Amino acid sequence: MGRIFVLLILVVLTTSGCPFNLADVRFLPTEMHASAKSERTFTLTKDVEISQLPCGYSRTLRNGTSWDLVGELPKGAIYRSKDQSLTLECSNVYEAYIVVAEDSLVGFYLPVEKGFVPVSDPIRLPVIKIR
Amino acid sequence: MERMLRWVICIGFSMLLSSCASGMKFTQANPSLAPLNPELGRIFFYRPSMAGAAIRPDVMLNGEKVGDAISHGFFYVDRPAGNYEVITSTEVSRKVSFVLENGQTRFIRFKISLGFFAGHVYGELVDQSVGLEEIQECKYTGGSNQSSK
Repeated sequence: MGRIFVLLILVVLTTSGCPFNLADVRFLPTEMHASAKSERTFTLTKDVEISQLPCGYSRTLRNGTSWDLVGELPKGAIYRSKDQSLTLECSNVYEAYIVVAEDSLVGFYLPVEKGFVPVSDPIRLPVIKIR
Repeated sequence: MERMLRWVICIGFSMLLSSCASGMKFTQANPSLAPLNPELGRIFFYRPSMAGAAIRPDVMLNGEKVGDAISHGFFYVDRPAGNYEVITSTEVSRKVSFVLENGQTRFIRFKISLGFFAGHVYGELVDQSVGLEEIQECKYTGGSNQSSK
């Protein structure tokens, strides 16, 4: 019993000094700029499942949500929805906007961190353009 | 031995109960969802689960303590538009970052995940519809600096 207690204390002392290996979302630092595009809003006509996200998480962009243009990156236009809060997460959680090029989702923009997270394969978005 | 076990169970149970929020229910307090000042946004913080109730870390909003993540508890603060980071620390620090706009209402839900010695309490940004549904049975714990700035 005494030996187990001593062993437990040793384990606590040795491991308590070790930092946890937190995983994080990797992004490319980038700043969005104003967009000259004329189509500024679209609505999704189906759920869009996104499974190729960092740390094995998945997200669904919901059918019927509207997405408004907020800016542009070299990779595509940035859209944000007031109908759905979107985040990317590993150990930490980041609000994310979607980045769209030619009606396909090509990545995410992290507005607080000012970073771009690409998806490995673009995902076609079923959309109706409002204006 | 049996008597001692009963004592341990009693002490454990009372510790668990005292770790939960005890204020007015959200449905009774019925706070306004939007901030009274249109030049501010409102952030609701809540923790709907009993899991890991004894762990109740500080809630830091952009480096300032605004409340505690207490099981079955909620509180809210009003802040100007801008970028925000909420950090909760147990044996590690976990962060959620988001943008707040004037007149906007955001909901941060706290959950707990397994840790090595203690669970990790972390925040998630959730839709208003989800937050409103889950916060109903939570009790007000009185965040600090409720409408500062």
